Amino acid sequence: MIETRFVIIACFVLSQTASLLAAETVSFSRHVAPILLEHCQSCHGPKKAEGGYRVDTYQAALEVGDSGAAGFVGDSVDDSEAFRRIVSDDHSERMPLDGDPLLQEQIDILRGWIESGAAFDGEDPEGKLAALVARNDQPNAPATYPFGVPATAVQFSSDGQRVYVSGYHELTTWNVSDGSLVGRIPNVGQRTMSLDLSFDGAWLIVGDGTPGRGGTVRVVDVAKQAVVRVLTACGDLVTDVQFSPTGDQIAAATVESGLKVINLADGKEVATIASHSDWVTCVAWSPDGKLLVTGSRDKTCKVFDVSDGDLKLTYSGHGKPVRSLVFHPNGEEVFSGGNDQKIHRWKIADGAKAAEVGFGGEVFELALAGGFLYAVAGDGTVAKVNLEDNKRVAEFKGHEDWPMSVDYHEPTNRVVSGGYDGEIRIWDPDEPKPVTAFLAKP
Amino acid sequence: MSLTPVRSWLCLWVALSISIAGAQEPGAEIDVVRLEVSPGSFDLSGATESLQLVVTAFTADGRVYDRTHAAEYVSRDPQVVTCSQGVVRPVGDGRAIVEVRVGNQQATTDVSVTNFDSPQPVSFQYGALVALSKQGCNAGACHGSPSGKGGFRLSLRAFDAELDEYTLLREELGRRINLVEPSQSLLLLKPLMKVSHGGGLQIHTTDPAYRILRDWISQGACVDDDDAPKCVGIRVFPDGNRILNGVAPSQQFSVIAEFSDGTRRDVTEVAVYSSSDTAVATVDEYGRATGHDRGEAAVVVRYLEFIESTILTFVREVDGYEWTEVPTNSFIDELIHQKLRKLQYLPSDVCTDEEFLRRVYLDLIGHLPTVEQSRAFLSDAAADKRATLIDTLLERPDYAKFWALKWGDLLRLTKGQVGDDAVYKYHRWIERAIAENLPYDDFARQLLTATGSTFENPPANFFRTAGDMNDCVETISQIFLGARLQCAKCHNHPFERWTQDNYYGMGAFFNRIQRKKTRRANELFVWSSTNGEVTQPRTGATMQPWVPAAGTLTEVADDDRRKTFAEWLTSSTNPYFSKIEVNRIWSHLLGRGIVDPVDDFRESNPPANGPLLDALAQEFVEHEFDRKHIVRLILNSRTYQMSHQPNEFNRDDNKYFSHYWPRLLTAEQMLDAICHVTGMPETFETLPVGLKATQLPAPDLANHEFLKVFGQPERQTVCQCERTTDSNLGMAIQFLNGPLIHNKVRSDANRFNQLISDGKSDEEVVNALTLAALSRHATQDELVASLEHMESKRGQLLAENSRQEKALDDAQSSLRVLEDQLREKVQGLRVDQVSEPIREDVRRALATSADQRTDVENYLAEKFQSLKTIVEEDFGKELPEEDVKRWQDATAQAQDIEESILSVAQIRVVGLEDICWVLLNRNEFLFNH
Repeated sequence: MIETRFVIIACFVLSQTASLLAAETVSFSRHVAPILLEHCQSCHGPKKAEGGYRVDTYQAALEVGDSGAAGFVGDSVDDSEAFRRIVSDDHSERMPLDGDPLLQEQIDILRGWIESGAAFDGEDPEGKLAALVARNDQPNAPATYPFGVPATAVQFSSDGQRVYVSGYHELTTWNVSDGSLVGRIPNVGQRTMSLDLSFDGAWLIVGDGTPGRGGTVRVVDVAKQAVVRVLTACGDLVTDVQFSPTGDQIAAATVESGLKVINLADGKEVATIASHSDWVTCVAWSPDGKLLVTGSRDKTCKVFDVSDGDLKLTYSGHGKPVRSLVFHPNGEEVFSGGNDQKIHRWKIADGAKAAEVGFGGEVFELALAGGFLYAVAGDGTVAKVNLEDNKRVAEFKGHEDWPMSVDYHEPTNRVVSGGYDGEIRIWDPDEPKPVTAFLAKP
Repeated sequence: MSLTPVRSWLCLWVALSISIAGAQEPGAEIDVVRLEVSPGSFDLSGATESLQLVVTAFTADGRVYDRTHAAEYVSRDPQVVTCSQGVVRPVGDGRAIVEVRVGNQQATTDVSVTNFDSPQPVSFQYGALVALSKQGCNAGACHGSPSGKGGFRLSLRAFDAELDEYTLLREELGRRINLVEPSQSLLLLKPLMKVSHGGGLQIHTTDPAYRILRDWISQGACVDDDDAPKCVGIRVFPDGNRILNGVAPSQQFSVIAEFSDGTRRDVTEVAVYSSSDTAVATVDEYGRATGHDRGEAAVVVRYLEFIESTILTFVREVDGYEWTEVPTNSFIDELIHQKLRKLQYLPSDVCTDEEFLRRVYLDLIGHLPTVEQSRAFLSDAAADKRATLIDTLLERPDYAKFWALKWGDLLRLTKGQVGDDAVYKYHRWIERAIAENLPYDDFARQLLTATGSTFENPPANFFRTAGDMNDCVETISQIFLGARLQCAKCHNHPFERWTQDNYYGMGAFFNRIQRKKTRRANELFVWSSTNGEVTQPRTGATMQPWVPAAGTLTEVADDDRRKTFAEWLTSSTNPYFSKIEVNRIWSHLLGRGIVDPVDDFRESNPPANGPLLDALAQEFVEHEFDRKHIVRLILNSRTYQMSHQPNEFNRDDNKYFSHYWPRLLTAEQMLDAICHVTGMPETFETLPVGLKATQLPAPDLANHEFLKVFGQPERQTVCQCERTTDSNLGMAIQFLNGPLIHNKVRSDANRFNQLISDGKSDEEVVNALTLAALSRHATQDELVASLEHMESKRGQLLAENSRQEKALDDAQSSLRVLEDQLREKVQGLRVDQVSEPIREDVRRALATSADQRTDVENYLAEKFQSLKTIVEEDFGKELPEEDVKRWQDATAQAQDIEESILSVAQIRVVGLEDICWVLLNRNEFLFNH
């Protein structure tokens, strides 16, 4: 009885979809994995493995669950238990249980993939679906935004004439002098959390992702103004990226509590350090490239030896999540800012705190150059702090909303700050008023 | 084979009967004489608002039916509104009439629609936060817990909008909200389980809450302007109490929020519903209550901090039920009977004199009547002897001593908290207040405004146990206002109206109290200073003194704010004060409060009989807070004097007082009762001999294991619940073989040994024990069974005796043999000490009988005569250890056997011990019934 019914459904589906699928072969990474990730993995993943069945990797999705049947079997729609349940019209077993049923085109994709052999087209069949999907080409950005999006990352171009700003599935490029939109770089994750430009100005690296879904480190070829590679991927946002002083490696901090060190040349992950118990929010290299310091939502900063990944020191002075970090050019001290609304200046040798600078809100980002530290905080200020005496020498007011990102361009002596509402302000650090202010909203 | 047709016939029959039962329900059959639609008119603004109608049908016999889901709806102006299933939705601007039909009756409602084409902004507070509350996101077990869940923390039921604004919009760089693609916001993807969510699937795209949250985000996730209209309250319909008839009747609710600008909005689909008794009724997320059993349930409706409730009474026809007129002694019985009749219960019969006697002693003075008192009462032929007994007991000092225990629990009288000397003084003050029947308002006033030395003015100890402002607020609200306020210290009460402002507003009366140690040990001096303000910790606002119902008080006594509070509290118009106390008295006497637990008065915990509670409170006020009057009134009611035996028509009632509620004796009652039955009083540490457990000033003056096992509270909290009433294994062990009962039953100074020495017969002793334990004469059956048991015990023991006597003979003769052997051994050992040359001669001389000895042997025998003199002590001194042990064991064995042989008198005592033990283990003894 069940079989008969199933065959009927199968025939019906087949007749509808045959034409759709003829045009291109179905890709697991690009077509199937996003469906499994969005509609199945919440219940059949590492956190909950309902029915003894998981789909968080390709390999797992093929396995046999508690029912005794394999989830997906190449060339055999009939033997693919997961598919059978997805198209079942019995409410008690139809997947996703209690949720909306899959759309016809999604079902067609799954059917086409099974019928073409249920093959894998990525690098590692045991790699996480989230990372696999995050690597995919990203959707196009909307032509215009209904609202400004938080400017979570800003970066001056080499010549200081333009500024790159985090957009929605893109980077937007703006003329510093008049605030006009001069370019859009597509194929970027939903949110860009961090940007860093190589010293030669050739590469712009992007730490991005979709909250709760996945993140990547992407490489923009500055000459082409396009994303040319995806260096690494993980299951949630990449929160911070920074080039090593030699420019051949990249440190990436991630929400999945990890720190990665990746070769720019071949994308090889040379180190993965998982020492924090909560999100890693920020990372910085020591000027000699031998040490990395990280800050985390677990309320600590940690210092690692790059050569062997050894933990050298844990700094617990903030007592609240840490948001931002920079190394002092002397290589002996670190400035870290956090939810305790303070910047701490502390020594990497013994973790002794040398000074504190107070703010009225979370300290989101720090930039250091020319003997000054520039900080943005949730009390609305952009502040300039003298490294000599740890005193604020200037405050730049006027952001309508919280400034969340900051960058400094030494040759032109300009500061850029980006706000929660998407407003960008360019400052001359010796003037209280902005040189330019505009909303980075296409 | 032959089974099959029968089975299918049965199936058919079942199917038929179901369809018949179904046809009676949402009854097209009821004869509707009038129809009412609520609300009668309404203004809708914007395209997304809707209106829930509630349709009520009235029948000729005055019954009420909710027909919201059975009515027919017709919009006369379909270009303005549509209406389906009682929900009106706008279609365009204009005015419309919606017609509602049930049977041949009809009613209409007027609806106007404005701003249909202009987008209505979704409010943060009244949209987004309400939606999150509706889905339970900010519940205490989820993200509303103090540390949140999964790194996401919301304020408990949205009491702190500012914190929620930060968390939702800004925390983690705005991660949770997506303004460009609102439906991709993490805030929606998580509860949809599109992204793993520890809390599972909590929202569907079809839920109103989903639409609200999505719209709010797509409009830019804005927070409300400071001058935006604020919600000032909600109106729930039906708002009065409502009686619903039938097998599974339902009631649709409608909830309308009223705003400071005068506008109204229907919030039925986003309000949160709960039922006070889910066995009686449940409410679904759309505000439709369904009855499951007869009884009452409060449907509590919450919209942000606004809470309203309606009591639904579900009535069902009970087969064969017919109300029979039962006599009433006072308004208590009338009101109890009204409720029982409404719910189709029948009150039980009146209890026997014996049951009444035991019950009223336990309830009034805490211990059992003496044998003589029981005899006197039971043989009294006077018609009003129950009332007379009540009056007599109320005048006994034991009454005050026992009721001081109850107040001692509430006021936390312990040596540890009040101090060694002061605890006696405080206890005496309470006892005297009860003995002198101090009016309750005076009692409360003296406690709450007490000033001076805790030695000179014992009620000042109230502020010793309530040692700071928080403790005062929580203690006073729990004892005198019947409200558990602890949660409002940190956030608005999750189930009730109490807000954090209320907590600190009440605190403003008590934060000025000063407490200082004096030079005398354990003495404290209490007074009120004239300055000091309370700051609300969350808002930082300075709080004005605030009381429930009356609100913020403007005229407050400058010298001592407590006076103003006490004046408000004890005023005859105070809605809480008298109710809380009469309910407490009721619960002491009937085993369960009309509101229960007694210190948990809230809308979601309605009284089992509201009119009765009101009438008792009224009576209390009219009689100037005379507690004895209330006690007397309740004890004289038929309700109090009902049997604990249920009848066919009240068996499943445990709430509406249709029969007496049997309950385990409290720890102190139990101990006193055991002492009383056995006639073996207990002495508590250094306290005076003869003091009963029910009269202890404080538990830590006695530290009595038995009392602790039976749930004596440590008095660490003001909650009456600290006195546990649940039975536990420890109790069973105490009664099986606990040392306390064992020692009393086995003591030769106990009641039945005394009776034996007074020359009483077995029958007399058994009857006296029964009277002592159960306050009634033993029945003929019990007497016969007891005497038979004693007789058979006697037979057993006598048989055992003769077995033992024989064993004793055996043991004694083997002991004698052993002793002879040992004597010889001792002698041999002694001879071994004699000098070698004559040793063998001596041995021979001693072994030869006197008449056959030679002269030499005679000489030697006389000379060494002492070697032959062996007493028992010599065994121990001269024999090796193993021989000594053998001899000792054999001696002990013979002794044991000898001792186990009982005399006739002893046999009689053993039989009575059994009888006594059985009496103590009877439910009739263990329970106040």
